[in-house]
Amino acid sequence: MERVLKSYFVLVYAFMYLPVAVIALFSFNSSEFMAFPMTGFTFGWYDIAVHDDRLLGGLANTILIAVPTALIATTLGGLAGLAVTRYRFRGRFAFAVLLIVPFFIPKIILAVAEVIAMSVVGIRHSVGTIVAAQALIILPFSAMVIASVLVRLDRRLEEAAADLGASGWQVFTRVLLPLMRNGLVASFFIAFVLSTSEYVVTSFVSGRTQPLSVMVASDFRFHLSPKLDALATLIVIANLLLVAISELVRRRAKGALG
Amino acid sequence: MTLVVTVGPVLVALTLLCLVPLGILFLYSFFRATFVAIVPEFSLHNYERVLSSGPYLRLILKALASGATIAAFTAVIGYPVAFFIAKRVRIVKAALLTALLVPLYTGDLVRIFAWRLILGTQGVLNSFLIWTGLIHQPIETLLFSPLATTIVLIYDYLPFMVLGLWLGLESLDDNLLEAAADLGAGRPAIFRRVVLPLTAPGLVAGALMVFALVVGDFLTPQLIGGASGVTVISAIADLFGAAFDWPLGSAIAWTLLAAMVAVVAAVVMLLRRMSWGDAMFGGG
Repeated sequence: MERVLKSYFVLVYAFMYLPVAVIALFSFNSSEFMAFPMTGFTFGWYDIAVHDDRLLGGLANTILIAVPTALIATTLGGLAGLAVTRYRFRGRFAFAVLLIVPFFIPKIILAVAEVIAMSVVGIRHSVGTIVAAQALIILPFSAMVIASVLVRLDRRLEEAAADLGASGWQVFTRVLLPLMRNGLVASFFIAFVLSTSEYVVTSFVSGRTQPLSVMVASDFRFHLSPKLDALATLIVIANLLLVAISELVRRRAKGALG
Repeated sequence: MTLVVTVGPVLVALTLLCLVPLGILFLYSFFRATFVAIVPEFSLHNYERVLSSGPYLRLILKALASGATIAAFTAVIGYPVAFFIAKRVRIVKAALLTALLVPLYTGDLVRIFAWRLILGTQGVLNSFLIWTGLIHQPIETLLFSPLATTIVLIYDYLPFMVLGLWLGLESLDDNLLEAAADLGAGRPAIFRRVVLPLTAPGLVAGALMVFALVVGDFLTPQLIGGASGVTVISAIADLFGAAFDWPLGSAIAWTLLAAMVAVVAAVVMLLRRMSWGDAMFGGG
């Protein structure tokens, strides 16, 4: 029975990584057509991908969007995490529910609602609108990551600081903030990665400045090339590194249960 | 840090970026579209069109059914996986959970495209089956079918279900399983009478996430399902794009949201009535 369970577990993980493996496989295939049989091994598509000016421009836009998005989502997520874990207030449950609403609303509905609202108020599509829309979608994730660190912190440390005469602000900057730093860093990385891979809402609220995800999406539909496989493989590797770093940081949080 | 300082900015952001736009969408659902403009006259005309027309109503029901079906599939597939992570590994627990989420970060379109390579006529699966000699001609109906959509939707949202189930199983006391076994319960009985009731909160959390994500999925049915890929979501997208009927699109969107809320409320009510809802609502 134990062996059946283990084999089943391995099988499900293989299923999860099958598409990633297929993309990586074809990124090394010398033929321009992505079909079997494979024709030969090449690094050529990687060479083409990293020298594509249009895609490089998209990558620059992606980072230009992801950094402020991750900062905003992490700041708001941190505040929300503090509110939910550190205060008992009326409407706390309603606040927590409201916090996950952006996760539960179908993305298309959120996207068209934001597009209409922007047209009513007269806001032009720009990098700013992408950042705002993405930060909203990522907020539930950031809040959850930071709250998961906050609930593990020993409340007595804050109480001790307050007893010893620290003001509320001092307790926050001198005790709470250093303790929750790892949660904030983890949230920043996860928000960064989620921002770079978001497509549906981004494509609706973007203007002329298009991030890589939107460019790749249109290429996948209209200009298919193994170059895109190479690019996707690089993105997966980069994301893997970022997620690994954030996990390491989060696990180092004091009192981590592992 | 006071309550106002923490809750305030979050509430402002959620209100401006989510609630106000949804409110404006709600207003639009009462307006009327002509060929050139949207006329702000209040009427229930759009909702009449949604509720009296077979196609839109059927698409909404199809979306809800699809969400429930995929949630059930992922639960069945996910329970052993979550059980293994929660109860059979110690040190690599975090790594396994992270590894489960990594494919999520590759981007929707990249993953969908990979599945087209796998399920296509000359794809990985057909090539493999021909190589093994199981079939001699490629199966052409693999891609662009409801089956393909189901497979890819399960793939897309399984990690969310496993996360929910894992949270439930992680807090399940091993002693209870042992006690049940000692008292003579077989595996099916242990699962049905101990594991399932005690992990119900995790199951419901996972199911609600998967349900909402499947109902709202835009790309998968469209790019994998072929002719079967018309969904209420793609209908809404069309009405805001080529068809240019924002009011009708808004009415459909809000009908869908109302239906989703109704399903979630029904699930919560049902759980409260059933005995194993007790674990979730504090012994209510």
